[in-house]
Amino acid sequence: MHGPAALQLTADGRLKHLLTTEGLPKSLITELLDTAESFLSSQGQPVKKVPLLRGKTVVNLFFENSTRTRTTFDIAAHRLSADVVTLDIRTSSTAKGETLFDTLKNLEAMQADLFVVRHSAGGAPFFIANRVTPNIAVINAGDGTHAHPTQGLLDLMTIRKHKGDPSNLSVAIVGDLKHSRVARSLIHGLNGLGCQDIRAIGPGTLLPSDLPTLGVRTFHRLSDGLIGADVVVLLRLQKERMSSALLPSEREFFNLYGMTEERLKMADPEAIVMHPGPINRGVEISNEVADGPQAVILDQVTNGIAIRMAVMAMTISTQQDQA
Amino acid sequence: MSLRIENVHICSPGSELHGQTAVAIENGVFADAKSTKTDATHDGQGFWLFPGLLDLRAHLREPGLEHKGTMASETRAAVAGGVTTVVTTPNTDPVVDSPADVRLVLERGAAQGHCRVLPTAMLTQGGQGSHLSEMAALMEAGCVALSQGNRPFASQKIQYNALKYAASLGITVFLDSECRDFTGGCAHAGHVGTGLGLSLNSPLSETLGLAADLELVEATGVRAHFSRLTTQRSVERIRNAKARGLPVSCDVTLSHLLYSELDLVDLNPLFHLERPLRTCADRDALRAGVVDGTVDAIITDHSPHEPGAKLAPFPETEPGMSLLDSTLPLLWKLSRDADLPIERLIEAMSRRPAQLINQDHLGQIRVGAIADCVLFDASSHSELTPQGIRSSGHNNPVLNHRLEGCLSQVWVSGRPVQG
Repeated sequence: MHGPAALQLTADGRLKHLLTTEGLPKSLITELLDTAESFLSSQGQPVKKVPLLRGKTVVNLFFENSTRTRTTFDIAAHRLSADVVTLDIRTSSTAKGETLFDTLKNLEAMQADLFVVRHSAGGAPFFIANRVTPNIAVINAGDGTHAHPTQGLLDLMTIRKHKGDPSNLSVAIVGDLKHSRVARSLIHGLNGLGCQDIRAIGPGTLLPSDLPTLGVRTFHRLSDGLIGADVVVLLRLQKERMSSALLPSEREFFNLYGMTEERLKMADPEAIVMHPGPINRGVEISNEVADGPQAVILDQVTNGIAIRMAVMAMTISTQQDQA
Repeated sequence: MSLRIENVHICSPGSELHGQTAVAIENGVFADAKSTKTDATHDGQGFWLFPGLLDLRAHLREPGLEHKGTMASETRAAVAGGVTTVVTTPNTDPVVDSPADVRLVLERGAAQGHCRVLPTAMLTQGGQGSHLSEMAALMEAGCVALSQGNRPFASQKIQYNALKYAASLGITVFLDSECRDFTGGCAHAGHVGTGLGLSLNSPLSETLGLAADLELVEATGVRAHFSRLTTQRSVERIRNAKARGLPVSCDVTLSHLLYSELDLVDLNPLFHLERPLRTCADRDALRAGVVDGTVDAIITDHSPHEPGAKLAPFPETEPGMSLLDSTLPLLWKLSRDADLPIERLIEAMSRRPAQLINQDHLGQIRVGAIADCVLFDASSHSELTPQGIRSSGHNNPVLNHRLEGCLSQVWVSGRPVQG
């Protein structure tokens, strides 16, 4: 193993950072999902408060805009009884010219236990994890188009909850995979759990070149890729894909790839529909499907809190045992 | 002062002394070992004697970027790596675009440099790509070629005019072929860069640019040297152009011969280059091009940086490697690892580039040529340490690595010099 995949594990294979789902062994993914489920009450909601991280300080380092992800990390940390500091970097020292490295050293000096990092540059959390003082955990909350591992894990959790062991499922991912760290993290996670049938559906301009090396089959026609799928994952389409001439219009995208009730019938009748949010109604998904019985989009959000609690608890516990 | 170097294995392709065991140096030029009476003798202990290497492209960072490197530090690094002649790039701060700038580089090189420094200057004023520079005056001041550094022309029409004008004066131009619409991106658009989520650079950025530049070369008749080719298709295009008799030559960097996109997997910023490392197939095609002569020259594209320039996430670091310190050991490594003939690698960093810039008196161990040479002990090892590195830029990928071979002595114009 190289790069981020190697750096996040201890010598004996425990999780000390979460940087990517690539290369995570099945046992570790399963442990993460099990731990996350243990944080859900019998009603399926995350438990209100546990004292696991009392006295620990979690620093949210968001170099890129985020409301939803940051909020779920906040909630997760509070439910674990941690102290949470959120740094909006756009108004802080980096905006005044301080380098990322110096910002990091300053925060370390403030005795943080865990950094949650979102950054527009692929590999930035890896850079941070490589250089932080030992015993500080780093969680990647999205880096460029590289990875968004907690999203990938919450997707796996949602799939497992609704459909069981992913190794026997057909998963179809529709839309802009090229610019999607969400899709990449999900694919690595599905590979880790032994999923044999991963499909990507989209126009040539929105599918990355490395899909075959990840064991993903590509389709340009929705009708070819959707047949019999157990899980349908729709990705958010960014407006800038039109201005950079990768797509003619949202309307054409919806006409070709938008998920309607009619088209969903091509998938398995029991199929679930997922979306990392925020959804664009009438672009990736019709109102009927978004609000329909097969959509599990809001359950993904709930599971996201549990997954982030699990990741924080596990990484801090590993770091503590190493100290 | 004259010197006899004996008990060596002379490797200087194209010279009558190639394969001989002794050479004399008299008044700074090579002389016949048999007929020259010498004052002193240097026992070469059976080591290789190579011509001093000539690097067609290195950033010495003066004037203006002294926080990255200076003439003094970078030419010391050159000598330490067996490079006795460095051709500078004009993209300094300010850029080199006037005879006064050229003289500044020459004078600083002569005063502080440990090896020979040959300048190039901008084809256009300020490197802005819109007004022609005073090309005749720049050559008169001592330039060996003109280029745009790594900057674009404002339009293809202006590029055509610049090449046409240069052609009429018999000036060699260095071109960095690039289609501006496809530039940007810190990693090759392949599975490694995609997998790491890095911004991607398509090989089309180079091949489209090269195709257009070759048309302009043919239309203007200018002597053109293409710098820093990275792709298999580029090598094929140059091969075809040469077969058709176009006055073209090209070089590739030592980094692109040694490394590939696979070296990015650890997100090590040392492997962040202005022209990204491409596939293994591309690397192998560059190697084959060097062997069959399609690729004329090997360059270092030496780019020293201050530590902060590489202390950031990969995409946010400044591109480039500091290679001069380890040039000859890396050529040796390339020869061993990739099974390439050392004679050809040496030729591509000595005689051939010297010919390209009309410096036929350099780059060869032959009677009458300038006495630049390197004594190289291939049986021992060397290790570049942070204390021992001469370049101000520690962004050298073999820092703290043990390499085969060790430089025993370097002569510049017959004088022993210390790296």
